[in-house]
Amino acid sequence: MIAGGAAYVYNVNGGVPTQLPQINPVLLVPFGSHFLLESRTSFTGFFQRENQTSGPYKGKVFKSVDYAQVDWLLDSHLIFSAGKYILPFGIYNERLVPVWIRNLQDSPITAAIGTRNSGAGDGFMFRGVAVQSPRYSVQYTAYFSARSDINQLEAARTAGGDTSIYFTQPRLEVGVSYQRFLQQRNINSVATYISWQPRTTPLDLKAEGDFSYNGRGYWIESAYRFQQLPVPQFARRIQTVARMQQFFPLHGGGNSLPTVDNHRVDFGLNYYIRDDIRLVSSYGRSFSSQGNANVWNVGATYRFLFPLWPGRHK
Amino acid sequence: MKRFSFSAVLVLWSMFFAVAVINCQQQNPAKPQTVSPPVKGKSGEQIFNDNCLRCHTPPMAISPRITGTVIMHMRTRARLSQEDQQRLLKYLAP
Repeated sequence: MIAGGAAYVYNVNGGVPTQLPQINPVLLVPFGSHFLLESRTSFTGFFQRENQTSGPYKGKVFKSVDYAQVDWLLDSHLIFSAGKYILPFGIYNERLVPVWIRNLQDSPITAAIGTRNSGAGDGFMFRGVAVQSPRYSVQYTAYFSARSDINQLEAARTAGGDTSIYFTQPRLEVGVSYQRFLQQRNINSVATYISWQPRTTPLDLKAEGDFSYNGRGYWIESAYRFQQLPVPQFARRIQTVARMQQFFPLHGGGNSLPTVDNHRVDFGLNYYIRDDIRLVSSYGRSFSSQGNANVWNVGATYRFLFPLWPGRHK
Repeated sequence: MKRFSFSAVLVLWSMFFAVAVINCQQQNPAKPQTVSPPVKGKSGEQIFNDNCLRCHTPPMAISPRITGTVIMHMRTRARLSQEDQQRLLKYLAP
């Protein structure tokens, strides 16, 4: 089957407009009940005006294989994956990156921590649920990635893991990720995160703190849907989002991280036309010693899900 | 000035969060809290709400032909157990 998302986003960052159309198909092919081949490819357009603020739009479409892996569902508590996989560091890279999932289209500043060089690793990974009880469950992931400079398979030599505990009743998840970067300078990176979706309120609260050699920072994001408010039916499809984040570089920053202190706030307003089609908009303000800037985003996202082959006629 | 602006936004953000929580609690004062039964009796719906909603909104409908594959994919992403996978399959494609 083919799943995935598509989006068109019009972004204005510090007065410079950019058009960002993209499509991210995910191919899923099961082999029996224990093996799954999965792969996501991204086609992302980047179009800016010739003189940044004037002239015709020019740009190109970038193609990349985000991941291509085979999963072996070995046991009730153990899944083995091999190939190119998304690095499971923090809550953002593996879970919130798809355009149809993320509440705000811009990634957090700290998303570059623990995801060098391409956001993916080449190697193997063990994952699953270690403990499951009525009150909580404990999930784990451990991986090793080899260095690769092959086109579309770029990855760094890294090893790491992630574990989280999910409390069933309050729907609260707390987790921690660790990664050791094993090429050039050996670097330890750590992330801690929390995710909470209360049962009685359509609120989604997520936060993550990241620490690395090149800097440390955090982000907090809350999203609230109007579906329980006493407002007209059409207004119940509205979702408001707020995110604040701070980043402080260490050792000069770098490696896709800012080199000066950075603070940013974003407010978003999304509208769910259907569960798979959404209009998105946001306003953000970035504060740094290199200059403050307004960041606007307007666009739409679409999630698709359909069989790869036509159905059989009975 | 920059520090003041950021503090003001932080306060606004906190107010937004507090208002959202309080407002919804007022809207549903009598709504009973769902108590999770033991894992053995956990329904597919509960597994769906406890795991899938952590990241994304649920799809309104999934073709029965691809439900098994979707759940297999979700098992690897959400690190579900085999028992949860089977209950979820029964819930989404009874």
